[in-house]
Amino acid sequence: MTMPALAPRSRSAVWRRQFLLQGCWNYEGMQNVGFAYAILPALRDFYANRPDEALKAVKRHLEFFNTQPAMGALILGASVRLEERVASGEADPRAIGTFKVGLMGSLGAIGDSFFWGALRPMASVAGALLALLHPLLGIAALLLLYNGVHLTLRRRGFAAGMEGPEGAVGWLKQAALNVRTDDRKLLAAILAGAYAGVFAGRFFVQGGGVPHALASLLLAAAAVHLFAVLFRKAVSPSEILSFLLLVGVLILWR
Amino acid sequence: MAWRFLLAILLGGLCYLDRTAACQLMLHRPLVVATLMGAVFGNMAAGAQVGVVLELIYLARLPVGASIPPDDTGAAVFGGSAAAIASSSIGLDAGSFTALLLLSVVAAEAGKAVDRFVRKVNVRIARLTAESVDRGDMQSVEHGLLAGLVLFAVTGMVLTLVFSGAGVVVSQELLPRFGPASRGNFAILLPALPLLGAASVYSCSRTERTAPVFFLTMAAVFGATVLFRWTA
Repeated sequence: MTMPALAPRSRSAVWRRQFLLQGCWNYEGMQNVGFAYAILPALRDFYANRPDEALKAVKRHLEFFNTQPAMGALILGASVRLEERVASGEADPRAIGTFKVGLMGSLGAIGDSFFWGALRPMASVAGALLALLHPLLGIAALLLLYNGVHLTLRRRGFAAGMEGPEGAVGWLKQAALNVRTDDRKLLAAILAGAYAGVFAGRFFVQGGGVPHALASLLLAAAAVHLFAVLFRKAVSPSEILSFLLLVGVLILWR
Repeated sequence: MAWRFLLAILLGGLCYLDRTAACQLMLHRPLVVATLMGAVFGNMAAGAQVGVVLELIYLARLPVGASIPPDDTGAAVFGGSAAAIASSSIGLDAGSFTALLLLSVVAAEAGKAVDRFVRKVNVRIARLTAESVDRGDMQSVEHGLLAGLVLFAVTGMVLTLVFSGAGVVVSQELLPRFGPASRGNFAILLPALPLLGAASVYSCSRTERTAPVFFLTMAAVFGATVLFRWTA
């Protein structure tokens, strides 16, 4: 069987549609509808004159799927390539499901740690610090710092996936996201330390000498440590804010 | 005022779409949303002040797997609009600022509950999509996704209307009931809020070197701030 071609227009459509991976996020199949929607233009090309096989392919991609959305680009690209092989009779359709299930968990964990646990906090705190100078400067920093990396990784991940599962695995090794995660986390910690220092200096030191300033610093550091301990014990920020709100109401009542 | 709400609803709908359903370009972050709401309701700088503090507070809660973090976009809609309105009426003093930040937790939790509801409704949409595909209608995948997107967008618009309306009511009706002295008492809690945000980043950026790096930087910047204030 001849290899069915993926038109450049369909490749672009798949690339654009990956941004809607969570468009119908639900508790049952999670990103399943989004994934099927994203890969649909490629399936239409591969199974152009074979409607029954096209339907089977769509059903394959309506199975449960969930990963970090930016990392989904890599799995999507590789799935397009695998579908191409299935359509030309070179691969078993079950290989696609196995590949997706095998990769979505580990890529989800890597992506969550990198994007939500490192890159976003770093960009957020940089934006918050610069917003003290001018709000628009802060917003620009937040969006550029996050999306510069986010969109680059999406583009490269999708391109690597389009080289096939082998390309996807090779790119993952080369990208070394675990090292990048630690670097971003360290940078986020430095910037968060600066943020805490700025606000502690603003609020606590209203007069007095060096001992007063030192006591203020220690009090602020103790507060940060206490909050961090509470977070580790699974107390949510909302619970802490609600407690503070209650304290505020009691102060007003007094 | 009506056109301000209309603009807020449109911008809020876009930001809420970015939060889950589309792109994730961080347009839904509190810094962006609160600044936008501040600008829409007449004072961008007041909205940004709220955004700077809210931006970090909820970062400790990651949107991992099926877990849904508090709706910090909703908190920013409430806080940004309320701060802008307060600044043009009673003035955004430290007490009002603290009260608005603390009250925004109600919006964050209400938005989270609504987010859960939307995702449950999406289960029905996904099932209908799968049934249509079983009947041979491939295009239903596109219709299903569109339905999910519309649901996320409309919900975001409704939440924006409710939260910005609540912000305006709180600033116009609730805060003026307390005199400047009472509001001043409330301000005693203000220093805890940015530190809560810093702790949020600290706890989700934990590596072996995080603690010394964080606290040394904090001490250095604190020292520089104090020196600057003493010499200025």
